[in-house]
Amino acid sequence: MSSMRFAISMLSVVGLASIIGTVLQQNQPYESYIINFGQFWFELFEMLSLYNVYQATWFLLILFFLVASTSLCVSRNTPQVIKDIRRFQENIREESLKRNKYVSEISIKNFKKSDLVSLLKDMQFKVREKKINGEDDLIVAKKGDFQKLGYIFTHMAIIIISVGGLMDGNLVFKFKEAVGIKKIEMVDKPISEIAKKSWLETSNFSYRANMLLVEGESQDVGVIPVKDGYLIQDLPFSVALKDFKIEHYASGQPKSFESDLIVKNKKNGKVLNKKISVNKPLTVDGVTIYQSDFQDGGSKLNLNLIDLYSAEKPLAMKAAVFKHNILIVDEQKLNFEFEDFRLFNILDIGLEESKKPTNVGPNFRHKIRDVTGQAREYETYQHPMVIDGRYFFMSGMRNTPQEDYRYLRIPADAERSLEGFMVFKNLIRDRKKVTKATVEIARKSSEIKEVSRNLANNFQAIFDNFVSGGYNNIALNIDENVPDEKQEQVAGTYLKIIHLIADRLIVDFQNNNSTSTLFNFDDVSVFTQDALNGYSDSFFYGSNFWIELKDFEHIQASGLQLTKSPGQFWVYLGSIMLVLGIFCMIYIQEARLWIVRKKGSKKVILAFASNREHLEFEKFVLDTKAKIKKFYLN
Amino acid sequence: MKKEMYDYGFALLLTLVGLYALTNFYSYMDQYEVAILVGSVAGFSYMGIQWNRFKYFFIASFTLAFLSIFLYQGDLGQSESNFFLKYILSSQSAIMWMTALFPLALLIYWFYLFVKQEFYGSLATFMVWAASIFATAGLLIRWFESYLVDLDVGHIPVSNLYEVFVLFCLIASLIYLFYEEKLQTKKLGPFVLIVINAAVGFLLWYTLAKNADVIQPLVPALQSYWMKIHVPANFIGYGAFAVAAMVSVAYLLTGNGFWNRYLPPKEILDEMTYRLIAIGFIFFTIATILGAVWAAEAWGGYWSWDPKETWALIVWLNYAAWLHLRLIKGLRGDILAWWSIGGLLITTFCFLGVNLFLSGLHSYGEL
Repeated sequence: MSSMRFAISMLSVVGLASIIGTVLQQNQPYESYIINFGQFWFELFEMLSLYNVYQATWFLLILFFLVASTSLCVSRNTPQVIKDIRRFQENIREESLKRNKYVSEISIKNFKKSDLVSLLKDMQFKVREKKINGEDDLIVAKKGDFQKLGYIFTHMAIIIISVGGLMDGNLVFKFKEAVGIKKIEMVDKPISEIAKKSWLETSNFSYRANMLLVEGESQDVGVIPVKDGYLIQDLPFSVALKDFKIEHYASGQPKSFESDLIVKNKKNGKVLNKKISVNKPLTVDGVTIYQSDFQDGGSKLNLNLIDLYSAEKPLAMKAAVFKHNILIVDEQKLNFEFEDFRLFNILDIGLEESKKPTNVGPNFRHKIRDVTGQAREYETYQHPMVIDGRYFFMSGMRNTPQEDYRYLRIPADAERSLEGFMVFKNLIRDRKKVTKATVEIARKSSEIKEVSRNLANNFQAIFDNFVSGGYNNIALNIDENVPDEKQEQVAGTYLKIIHLIADRLIVDFQNNNSTSTLFNFDDVSVFTQDALNGYSDSFFYGSNFWIELKDFEHIQASGLQLTKSPGQFWVYLGSIMLVLGIFCMIYIQEARLWIVRKKGSKKVILAFASNREHLEFEKFVLDTKAKIKKFYLN
Repeated sequence: MKKEMYDYGFALLLTLVGLYALTNFYSYMDQYEVAILVGSVAGFSYMGIQWNRFKYFFIASFTLAFLSIFLYQGDLGQSESNFFLKYILSSQSAIMWMTALFPLALLIYWFYLFVKQEFYGSLATFMVWAASIFATAGLLIRWFESYLVDLDVGHIPVSNLYEVFVLFCLIASLIYLFYEEKLQTKKLGPFVLIVINAAVGFLLWYTLAKNADVIQPLVPALQSYWMKIHVPANFIGYGAFAVAAMVSVAYLLTGNGFWNRYLPPKEILDEMTYRLIAIGFIFFTIATILGAVWAAEAWGGYWSWDPKETWALIVWLNYAAWLHLRLIKGLRGDILAWWSIGGLLITTFCFLGVNLFLSGLHSYGEL
């Protein structure tokens, strides 16, 4: 197990598993995996724990084996390394020195032994002197021993880092789960109803828990997501959120999230009042509290439900995010589920020509669920947005979360309000007014009474056709009744007629309500066309109601993360060792030098050796030789 | 004696500039940023003393940057109306000059390789120096411009893909220039400039097709002094690995008789690859560790198995294995050269692919 081959194959598996973990998005809701992979692959992948590779038992086991293998390796080699560091290799034989790759001779006048030794010492060599064959001099010098320590440092570092990492892993929980002491909670329910088996005590060694804290509220437990369920982590303190603040740049992008917290120790009642923000966490009782995200905390919404297909007064609804409102429509029970409210929405839509990220104001999201359980999702903006230089109220609808929203665009009137469109949709459904308009238009087209009456009837039929189902209805009608080659021409005429009538209705309205400024446009027919389009599209909106956001009370919730990480110290310590070790291994030149002088000889023999004899070493040898030569020249 | 005078002069100059920054902007800095400033003055002085040409490079870049700041007169609108800013000294123009000079240098290097006239080699080297000066000046000016956008928008320009690509080009070319001088050979320029120009190509596409050169404010997670350390350290690693891979390409070519006439001997190439990977490995290790320390402060844990973290680990393991084989097993030759080229692919995926294909906490530069 301590073999290099074993370590490398284990490392390769870790590498491969890690790659899988990056390609396959981790810790997603299990439903989304089922949708993506189908039942068969979903189950296979789940069996292999591929949705949380890094917490999988097999992954941790491999890590464990790696640590064990490295430990064995270190413990086996360390004595040898230490021995090497201490050893001077002074028992080397002359013949073997002469076979050395870096051996040379220097002529001398006299040996000046003690001076030579101090020269070597100046050059950072450790030196030992010896007599060989009873009369010849041998000087053994060496330097760069720490290079070998680098080996021990780096490998120890890897062990320490891994142990630190495992300390912060969930091994203890895994064990407790395996023997049945603990169990993952799979069902969303109030904290008070969650069984003790799914609770982790404050004494828990290490954890990373989440907490969603609503403004003005307090909590003393965190939630740890595990696989497709969760656990409750009891905390040594309670946390209350006094205030949550988001600051924005001038361009609208978020600049900072800040939570004003009150942390109260459960045992001694000590209270700490502190603000935290991203990059500025707070550590209390060994637990570090981070600002991680934010969401709505149950904002209160005052809504108007406007029936698009009746002239009745809008229905007022008091709603709140995360709450459901039930409404009976046509004897059908509809459940309005409000899900999110956002005060700021930065879109790349931009005013006029400048396409910059712009804040388009508040929006809210809700679902409408019918008795069969089918639900459509809606996203509605409070303020009108500029599109092609005109203002539109926008509401998106989708049938499933996988789809993109399709937006219904309702044109704003000249006062940038919804009122104009509400007047419009009442006008086009008002039989009397429509009849009057068609008659007037028909009269203009033909002087002959008979003809104009017929025309008026036709116009009315076309318009009714539109009112009851939009352009889609008209298209179906044409498809059925008009020969193919004439369809295009007829469609053009029909659209013109519808537009004429609608325009007429608005003009009549203005004449009767001269004080109204709703339609004070340069060209009201542009509004008419937008309104007709909006009305027609509403038949695909899936709901009779346009929901207008009258006002709101914004309540936020701050997403906190609570971390207890005793392994961190060891990971950092290991990291420092790792860097030191790599420095030693790479940048310390290990070298040994033997100097032999036969008794009375006018020559010394120099022999160099190193465990790494590359170009750098050759340069070192040349330098050192030059210095010694210079020494003997003087 | 004379060189020492210049050394002291350079260190003194940098100290004065540092002091100027410290006295003027102290109230905007926290203690870490002060430490980073002091460390930078010391570090760059040391580099200038060790590497003479770095002094001139440094002074030239800063002179251009200061000139630009002077021309701006505190008004971002000047970049449109002032001739010098518009065509040379706004950050976008300076970076455009960089993107023009690098391809030119590539061409001249190849010409030099086959014609073997020293003049062209020197000209190419000069081009790379000029491109590096424009890159540095461009980044410095961009740093200044970000404060002109708004005081709270201002930040060091290493926060998105556009900015780090400029940084990558700069660091890779400086690393190359250092070894070109040290090993006394310009014959690797043709190869190293290929990878730099690949980055330039991406940068141009990214600028023109995606308008990526717009200065954006920092998301809250990036608002930390750690960014000033973590990102540059990482890019010294990436830069060194990239240059190493190109040297390995040259190494593999030297087996062929044709190329032998034009390229340096195998031993030098082998040695250079090793040194580049070694220096890259140290910086990459430090950068990853510092990243972990930052993550512990910003995301609540030193390691979250975020795709970028995981790929950094894979890159690290790859080069650790490379060094292991070379240092402990004494392996040499084609295998290591191929390995180092493969390493560049892994590095590129970590550096760019993760941003393009995977989502995670490091989503600062999506396409």
